[in-house]
Amino acid sequence: MIQAFRRLLVTALILFTVVPTIQATQESAKESQDAESEQEMPIDVIGKVQDHNYLNIAGYHLNLPRILLVEGDWYFYGSTESAIESGNFVEQEGSLIPVDGRELTMDFSITSHLMYFWFGVALTLWLTIAMARKYKRGAGRKTEPKGWFQNLFEITFVFVRDDIAKTNIPKDKYEKFVPYLFAVFISITFMNLFGLLPWGVTATADITVTGILAAFTFFLTQWNGSKDHWEHVFMFPGVPPLMRVILTPIEILGLFTKPLALAVRLFANMLSGKIMIVCILGLIFIFTEFFGTIFGAGSSILVVPLTVALYVLKAFVGVLQAYIFTLLSAVFIGMAAEEHDHHEEGAEAHA
Amino acid sequence: MGLLAAGIGAGIAAIGAGIGIGMIGKGAVESIARQPEASGDIRGAMILTAALIEGVALIAAIVCILLVFFA
Repeated sequence: MIQAFRRLLVTALILFTVVPTIQATQESAKESQDAESEQEMPIDVIGKVQDHNYLNIAGYHLNLPRILLVEGDWYFYGSTESAIESGNFVEQEGSLIPVDGRELTMDFSITSHLMYFWFGVALTLWLTIAMARKYKRGAGRKTEPKGWFQNLFEITFVFVRDDIAKTNIPKDKYEKFVPYLFAVFISITFMNLFGLLPWGVTATADITVTGILAAFTFFLTQWNGSKDHWEHVFMFPGVPPLMRVILTPIEILGLFTKPLALAVRLFANMLSGKIMIVCILGLIFIFTEFFGTIFGAGSSILVVPLTVALYVLKAFVGVLQAYIFTLLSAVFIGMAAEEHDHHEEGAEAHA
Repeated sequence: MGLLAAGIGAGIAAIGAGIGIGMIGKGAVESIARQPEASGDIRGAMILTAALIEGVALIAAIVCILLVFFA
């Protein structure tokens, strides 16, 4: 398994480094023409972080299927072009609109962010299931873990279990949440790091993806909320009844702001990292546009090392944000699942 | 006007987050210096608090981004 993984990794790396250089000349020539004809901006920053209906792999356009629901009727197309060619839809401001005046109920199209979300999830599933099989066979339980990959996996798992789950969730309940926390940690790490690959798309730089992830945490938190958790939300103990009128809405609001902040934090971190890299690298093209080729080439001496530093920082931030997301999920779950002793007794004990 | 507002807003958000995270770093370094054996726990608490502050700052940053593109 590990051999296969290593071979796959090496192949992917070679593919990502060799193919672009072959493709680059044609591609850049075509792109510069497009850029000149369409807009005066030298770089398209938002286009890099937006959701697209195609995958850009090593310079190739891989069209993704469009699935559209129009007032109960489903339409399936191989790509945006074929949807327009069929005569049922026209493109308007980046979205497809039915020709015959009906309302577009929902666009179920598979987009690049969704694809990279699936890549992250699939890689997580593959690695964890393969590892689970290995442990079931006895390697790692009866013997020492073998190879760098199993060691790395075990370190990560023990880290999530001991440092994230055990310290934040009550002792008798934490085991139930370890699989969720571990899966979230691994898949968010993959999704964040995919954005660093050439042509890679950061799926987590999309508020819908992080929103879904935060929604999982939200439902898990509420589902496992103890009696004390709900008592604190609706009938805050030990305060005058009039105070409850103010406190209860705040507490109910607090239930929703926690996952919202979780989603926005991950989203904004990934988005800002991506925008920053594109902007700073794009300075070369901006300088070239305004001051000429020589000045643009000269600025690359300053810009490229800066981008490399940002890249390293972004790789670190990608792992750190996955850790923070997992940690805060564990903290929220732990806060809800906790069962307190009675507060009056606690207050007396402290006083 | 939206661009100006976004610029000023991003600057103020950066000031606030900078002061906040700086104070966390100060507190963490001081307490690690005082009690080096507890550095693991302190680091965890530091990252958690820094993440909470960062969340607020990033919400401000999102508002600024929205101002640039939609205002």
